[in-house]
Amino acid sequence: MRPFTYTSATNKEQALKASTKTSHYLAGGTNLVDLMKEDVERPDQLIDVNKLDYKKITSNEKGGLSLGAMLSNAETANHPEIRTNYPLLSMAMLSAASAQIRNMASNGGNLLQRTRCPYFFETSMPCNKREPGSGCGALKGMNALHAIFGYSDNCIATNPSDMNVALAAIGATVEVQKKDGSSRMIEFTDFHRLPGDKPEKDNTLEQGELITAIHLSKPEFSDHYYYLKIRERSSYAFALISVAAGLQVKSGVIAKAGLAMGGVAHKPWKLSKAEEFLVGKKPNKSKFEAAADLAMKDAKPFEANKFKVEMGKNAIVRALTQAYEREA
Amino acid sequence: MTKTINASGVGNAIDRVEGHLKVMGKAKYASEFPVENKVYGQGINSTIAKGEIISIDTSEAEKLEGVLKVITYKNAEKLKAFDEERPELATDSIAPVLQSNKVHYYGEYVGLVVAETFEQAQYAARLVKFEYKKDSDALIDFEKSKSKAYTPDNDSNYSRGNMKLGLSEADMVVEQTYNTPIEHHHPMELHAVIAAWDNGKVTAYASQQIVEDAKIAISGTFQIPKEDVRVISAFVGGGFGSKLNLDRHVIMAVMASKMVGRPVQVTVTRTQMFTNTNMRQQNEQKMRVGAKKDGTLTALSHETLSHTSITQEYQEPCGMVSKMLYNVPNNEVTYKLIPMNLQTPFAMRAPGEATGSFALESAMDEMAWKLKMDPLEFRIKNDTQTDLHENRPFSSRLLVECLRIGADKFGWKDRKAEPRTNKKGNWLIGYGVSAASREAPYQKTHAKVILELEEDKIFATIQMDATDIGTGSYTIIAQTASEYLKIPVEQVTVELGDSDFPITPGSGGSWGAASYCNGARAACENAINTLKNNRNIKGDEEVTVSELLKQNQLTKFEAEGMAEPSAEFKKYSIFSFGANFSEVWVDKDTGMYRIKRMVNVGSAGKILNPKTAYGQIIGGLTMGAGMVIAEQSRVEPNFGNFITRSFADYHVPVNLDMANIDVIFLPEEDKIANKMGIKGIGELGITSVAASISNAIFNATGKRMRSLPITPEKLIEAGLEEGVTA
Amino acid sequence: MKDIDKWKETVNSDNLSDDEKMVLDAMGLNGSSRRKFLKQVSAASLSIYASSFFTSEIFASTMKDLPENTTALLNEIKVNLRVNDMVKPLTLDSRTSLLDALRERLALTGTKKGCDHGQCGACTVIIDGKRNLSCLTLAATCEGKEITTVEGLAQNGKMHPMQEAFVKHDGFQCGYCTPGQICSSVALLEEAKNGEASYVTEDFKNIQSGLTLSEEEIRERLSGNICRCGAYNNIVQAFKEVHSGDDEMPTWEFATQEQMDKAKNA
Repeated sequence: MRPFTYTSATNKEQALKASTKTSHYLAGGTNLVDLMKEDVERPDQLIDVNKLDYKKITSNEKGGLSLGAMLSNAETANHPEIRTNYPLLSMAMLSAASAQIRNMASNGGNLLQRTRCPYFFETSMPCNKREPGSGCGALKGMNALHAIFGYSDNCIATNPSDMNVALAAIGATVEVQKKDGSSRMIEFTDFHRLPGDKPEKDNTLEQGELITAIHLSKPEFSDHYYYLKIRERSSYAFALISVAAGLQVKSGVIAKAGLAMGGVAHKPWKLSKAEEFLVGKKPNKSKFEAAADLAMKDAKPFEANKFKVEMGKNAIVRALTQAYEREA
Repeated sequence: MTKTINASGVGNAIDRVEGHLKVMGKAKYASEFPVENKVYGQGINSTIAKGEIISIDTSEAEKLEGVLKVITYKNAEKLKAFDEERPELATDSIAPVLQSNKVHYYGEYVGLVVAETFEQAQYAARLVKFEYKKDSDALIDFEKSKSKAYTPDNDSNYSRGNMKLGLSEADMVVEQTYNTPIEHHHPMELHAVIAAWDNGKVTAYASQQIVEDAKIAISGTFQIPKEDVRVISAFVGGGFGSKLNLDRHVIMAVMASKMVGRPVQVTVTRTQMFTNTNMRQQNEQKMRVGAKKDGTLTALSHETLSHTSITQEYQEPCGMVSKMLYNVPNNEVTYKLIPMNLQTPFAMRAPGEATGSFALESAMDEMAWKLKMDPLEFRIKNDTQTDLHENRPFSSRLLVECLRIGADKFGWKDRKAEPRTNKKGNWLIGYGVSAASREAPYQKTHAKVILELEEDKIFATIQMDATDIGTGSYTIIAQTASEYLKIPVEQVTVELGDSDFPITPGSGGSWGAASYCNGARAACENAINTLKNNRNIKGDEEVTVSELLKQNQLTKFEAEGMAEPSAEFKKYSIFSFGANFSEVWVDKDTGMYRIKRMVNVGSAGKILNPKTAYGQIIGGLTMGAGMVIAEQSRVEPNFGNFITRSFADYHVPVNLDMANIDVIFLPEEDKIANKMGIKGIGELGITSVAASISNAIFNATGKRMRSLPITPEKLIEAGLEEGVTA
Repeated sequence: MKDIDKWKETVNSDNLSDDEKMVLDAMGLNGSSRRKFLKQVSAASLSIYASSFFTSEIFASTMKDLPENTTALLNEIKVNLRVNDMVKPLTLDSRTSLLDALRERLALTGTKKGCDHGQCGACTVIIDGKRNLSCLTLAATCEGKEITTVEGLAQNGKMHPMQEAFVKHDGFQCGYCTPGQICSSVALLEEAKNGEASYVTEDFKNIQSGLTLSEEEIRERLSGNICRCGAYNNIVQAFKEVHSGDDEMPTWEFATQEQMDKAKNA
């Protein structure tokens, strides 16, 4: 790990003021400290924001709940209000990592979780995300775990977060404090970005901005929800493919669908077309299959990750079925 | 035979004697010894697979606070080089390091930084700049390197009968290739060492399975007298074969300690564990099996293609099991090796059997399916009580009993012969079985017993250079002393893992239990016999040890003992046998599956402690389940490094991957094997498990998975086997 | 709260406290082993750190004092680490993980380094009642936090029931993942009491406190602690016994003569 100075901020002003181009905010540290040990992240200053008072769950004006950015994933997922109103979010968050990591990891930090692409982690290999201009090692290398949607020649990495997939299905806005002390709201779907020609940028945060809250849309999928995570072992592993599915069923017809996928793109992949298709339909296998076909239609897999197309379809159908059948 | 006179002697399920220390965090592993004034070393790895170092810039690193030394080939101490080209890797092989500018594989050590603190050493290691001239012809792709394969000159190729004739006599032939990937042992304790020089002698607190061989390796590499080397491995945080030989971090630490004049600690990082410890190499095993309609085997061949390194040779004996497990007159076993630009592979838990059994027992299952025979009955039909390979009897072989008793316990009769017919919701359910055999070696072992009389009580201390790598050595040796000295185990202290103690073969190859316990037995018996002789007491007269000391007017007495295989031992083939039954539920859409339960039956001689023996079996089953579920180390095709470089990429089983396991031990004491009737059990579990799971997956899905691991994507992409109804 | 001097406390081998006697009992040191052991630990407090093992002289070299950094550090931080009810002021490199501070500076080597990247759970400690990974926790962030390591679970010389259950059910082999498994298990007892859910919980909307965890739940919730020796089934049994209070029976048996005869003559 490179040397850095450590500062503990007791309020947001202190934190914002301390931040520089080469500093990082430190919350749970589960991803950042790991990447610093790998020499992938190289801040010269860490600003510990754990003492900042963004650790509550409150009501918001959208009729939903807001999650404090420094609240841990474990406390969020197990908050009675979240479990009752946003069980899809709880389920996704609890599928991630291990109990220890969920106790440490913060909500804000989870939004910023970086890719698991091994070319990104191994500093002796090229990676445009880690070192812009060095090339993408995965493009012509081992890419079974990589993107099938929205990638560029510069980067084919995927976003590894489970929480993000659920947020994409549920709908949310991210509140950030700007360096000048004002705040701004970012639509969740605009928060993460596709790699394009700037893969080093995972998201649309500006330098020095500090995430303070995630405002959830009003709860609509508290009855019919499922987070399916396909992985190489039954727990404590990142997803090959994951699907967050939420349905609102009224009088036997789908009134609203929330559907997003993980493990397939540089950002949590919201399946908007499939969501729209499902609205007004009777929930049944053939409709779910049609939605899955629609969702995967534009997939552009590599030779090594072709499996993700069929696996993805199966996963969508299964997640929708489980969500629907949960409380008939 | 000595009768157990207390509840802690041999055969009893006592708690581990060192258990308290482990659960309280007080057991000391290599890097935990409180060595004063120690500093930290951090190895640096090459970032090319083949070529030369053309320049090294250490200036930036050397400027850093706390940095004491940067060692590269330019300033390293001259070490003993290999005497021949590509010598065989052995447990006592020398381990020269930092000797030239040549790079043989990605991740090879090219330097070591020594600094006051761990943090400083880690960072400084990143600041040493190497410039390389990269060769473009590195052999890093198994498939593309096949033309380089050679036949190793180790008499491993074997045949009996006439394979061609055997196949022509067969009504049915199975000819298939089975692939197993590179796997890594990954013990939880990172390989580590603290090396400290004092008065021209070096002590290495090192995580090693065989203390004596580690000592030989250090003395051989530095060309210093053995007496000047001491190795201490009191607790070893898992080995599984990776700590059998002495790896180069130990040599670097010993060298660095000499150069900086302070004790040096080197801990191999988890990423370095992929390149700087040994591994199980990739194997391509081609099987040909011929059988008559009634299930009689007529022919069996087992061809293994593996890889070794550029500098040393290792051949995993995958075909061993095919030579001796079944009654087949025509048999051929061959090996080929590709020298690749990867580190030298070496033994990983049940080398030969774990991978070889996967191939053989999968092929047997395929044949049973073709013959429409119950795979259990097919195996029983081809049982043999003679080792046709060595042409001599087995000392004992209860394989049929293992299979039948296991089948009863498991409920094998409920197995549906047709795949895809046992369903529950989204699950396809399958049953699978595999037979197992594992050689039960036993080696010359020394031990010392120290008897002390205190207030009418005898306290005994056993000293051996044996190791406990989680296998239960402390416990079973204490039980042995308790048994033969007829004192409760609480009055026995066992001291292991110090090269100053009497020499044993160390832990590995399933020889530990038999060797250690018979060695300890010999020391105890010698002590008693000497004390009796001194007082002219007849050998069979019952006198307590405390009485013997009193009669000898002693309060302390020491004796050594040695045990080794008898002449009779060599006239027999001595193996442990087993059978494993698995129930697996496969999700029909996602390709994920769960092992729901297993039954394992083992015939492994005298069970010294069923509690620790159970641990060995379930441990082997868990590691074997890992072989099937996800374990694989993959080489990046353009760079030659392991793309799986952490525990987040290399998936070993987690708690949720496992399920209830019933273990049945067959009551057996194999007195031909050794005086105490002990055979090995540490590798028996892993030997039987992989095929039992993959066979269960076939029974569930109708998909025959011939390449490990069986990942969700492979299951989704696989087609149905011919003859299976969708 | 005991004060800082506790770190410097030494054992008087002639005059052991009851607590210390119990620690020795718990360590299985009896009779002559105990006598020999005590000759060698006069420099170190038993209840604090670095207790040696058995009687071999190789274990005699306990450290005279906790290691101090001799050189000045570039980014020095001062932190009062409160570990197992004791406070130790340390001057550390800002990069030092809690794990390395415990192992290399406080000689609390019970907490293990298995990967140093949050991928194995061997370094699990309990911080303010929650299980955390000490390898991804910077020591600098621990000021004012209550840290419990495996060495701090025993109370008054008596092992924690989870430690006893791990011994009884052989919930380990090599022992290296064990401190992490045990800290994780102890914290999980609380999580169950609090009614926390897991990914395998069927229904997130109706969870009561005081959960009785199924085997599936226990396995999922302990999946963050890797045991390469494969002692998972025994770990689950140990946890279950403490969690439910009911005895767990071993799942091994010996075949009977009847079974043997039947198999042979089938």
